[in-house]
Amino acid sequence: MDSAPLIRDEEIFLRMNLAERVQHWVLISSFLLLILTGLPLFFYDVRFFQLLLPSGQSFYVRGIVHRIAAVVMIANVIAHLLYTALTRRGRDNFKEMLPRWQDVKDAVGLFGYNIGLSRFLNKRGIGAKFFKRHPYWLFERHPLYGRYNFVEKFEYWALGWGTFVMIFSGFFMWNVELSLRFFPLWVHDIFIIVHGYEAILAFLAVIIWHMYNVHLNPEVFPMSKVWLNGKISGKELRLLHPLEYEKILEERRKILSAEAL
Amino acid sequence: MVYPGVHKENPAVEKINRTTTGRILLAFLSAALSVFLGAAPAAQSDEDCLACHGDKDLKSETGKRLFVDQAEFQVTIHGQGGLSCVDCHADLRKVADFPHNSPLKPAACKDCHEAAVQQFARSIHQAANERGTSGISIGCKDCHGTHAIKPSDDFDSSTFAINLPATCEKCHLEKVPSKKGAGFIGGYNLSAHFKALEKSGLTMSANCGHCHGAHDIKGVGDPLSSVSRKNIIKTCGTCHVGIQRGYLEGVHGIDYVKGIKDVPVCTDCHSEHNIISPEDINSTVYATKVAQVCANCHDDMALSRQYGFLTSRLRTYNESFHGTAARFGETRVANCASCHGFHDIRASSDPKSSIFKANLPATCGQCHPGASRHFAEGLIHSAPDQVQTAKYGTAHVVKEVYIFIIAAIIAVMVVFIAADFLRRVLRKEKHG
Repeated sequence: MDSAPLIRDEEIFLRMNLAERVQHWVLISSFLLLILTGLPLFFYDVRFFQLLLPSGQSFYVRGIVHRIAAVVMIANVIAHLLYTALTRRGRDNFKEMLPRWQDVKDAVGLFGYNIGLSRFLNKRGIGAKFFKRHPYWLFERHPLYGRYNFVEKFEYWALGWGTFVMIFSGFFMWNVELSLRFFPLWVHDIFIIVHGYEAILAFLAVIIWHMYNVHLNPEVFPMSKVWLNGKISGKELRLLHPLEYEKILEERRKILSAEAL
Repeated sequence: MVYPGVHKENPAVEKINRTTTGRILLAFLSAALSVFLGAAPAAQSDEDCLACHGDKDLKSETGKRLFVDQAEFQVTIHGQGGLSCVDCHADLRKVADFPHNSPLKPAACKDCHEAAVQQFARSIHQAANERGTSGISIGCKDCHGTHAIKPSDDFDSSTFAINLPATCEKCHLEKVPSKKGAGFIGGYNLSAHFKALEKSGLTMSANCGHCHGAHDIKGVGDPLSSVSRKNIIKTCGTCHVGIQRGYLEGVHGIDYVKGIKDVPVCTDCHSEHNIISPEDINSTVYATKVAQVCANCHDDMALSRQYGFLTSRLRTYNESFHGTAARFGETRVANCASCHGFHDIRASSDPKSSIFKANLPATCGQCHPGASRHFAEGLIHSAPDQVQTAKYGTAHVVKEVYIFIIAAIIAVMVVFIAADFLRRVLRKEKHG
């Protein structure tokens, strides 16, 4: 055993570099603005929105702000795509972000572990044979994640898909005359419906899924500070991203043994 | 001063006061009358009357002033015509003992103004007098005044076009309000008609008399009334000729002529007394409010079944960007009238209609320059149960699918999070 561990608990790792944090900040602000200026159209009867937009002029400004925020978000998407394609770190992140079969197993595994039904049944001797042959279904341990777990991957790809849908439908809503030069009115109506309901889905997903995972989750409560300083400690790495921790550890061991030779 | 056009269309107003021949005739008649009456033994001369009534401080036992200002009377049309006191106060013609009994009967206007008095006898005012329940008795003097009566084309006359509203409102603002509420009649003072009348002195602008008539005013429920549903189109059309013509060509007007009572008339959309410009935010037909007015009938289930039109017009409009924006006060988006027109609204099956399929690109093109034929390939008011062309309803299917997906995803998320949260809390309790 080494007297000094290869990864100390206090060591600082950069989980989000400045470029990634800026992308996230721009995303947060444009997303919030879009939600705030878009939801009134969906919930036109809600008093809050009527107070927020008390006049025809304010409603007009709402439209302008919505479009500006949309342009900012699109620019952010382009910046992110360029960053992902052109930088080493971006490409590495992207590879880590690709969904794998293991992610599905992790999701099921976490839920099964949290519920604890299999363990309960096994303890009572129910289905003991099955569990012996397929220990995975016993969900005895918390799944171990790499750099990005299934929660983060789901968020990333849902956001990607949602952004594409919103930009596509929103573009044609912005340019009604252009849209109706290509599509009949009933197709344009679909754009409107899709834009509205995709927004609701995104809004709910963010306030439920993302807010739980980065704020309410007892692991990080009251808030994970990664989005502010981008830093994660060696301890957090070991607990939250054990596979990545192992990987770094392995790399360092190799370097160490190479030096020793 | 004579204002051409004032009361011209209103036969109820007496012409005798206005025409020169009328004046000569009046003077002649009254002269002849006084000669005839002068021969009678007990006739009173004006001097006899003024012996008492010329005293400025003369008062009755109840304190009512009994002074008659002769100077004021003499400049009136009656004074100039040479009428004497007893010509009007007919019940004093044969009285010899003075002071005479009081109160006197109302002045005998009928002797000269026969037509007007006959018309008045058929009016709602006379009907109220006969019923006697209001405690108020109304006669000629209540509108025209007493000794200082001036012809209605005189600036200072109580029945001059500009002064008439105040004359009627003496009673109808407070003492005798409408059954429709206290502010109903007073709303006229906020109207475009009153503004034109008072601010700009446009005497042809509608005052009480233009719409209600003068001597033979009838209740709105009376089919003979000029403001009854049966006659209101013609009454408003007296001035708004082009609008009346357009209205009668539209769907509403066509049914109106057939005698269908549910069809909207002018006042159903524009309100009655408080008619203001559609550009005024308080107008019932202001850009952002007109939808509510149309919906009064067009979202009414009973009416839709009876006359076979579609409902959910307001809801589908509100859900569209046009309607939503209008609800937030944006006036530049389309409202009902932008697409359907207003006075001469036509059915979508009418090739002249602005919403006839072939005309839609032009109609939508008013706001969406270069609107293509694609604008017509879909439904504007698309209520799910009223879509007849399957593909036009695709958006509703997409909506249903989305609602299902959203519900499913959110439900899974909530269950997942709940399980995670509970496990962490339990674990903490165990270890911590």
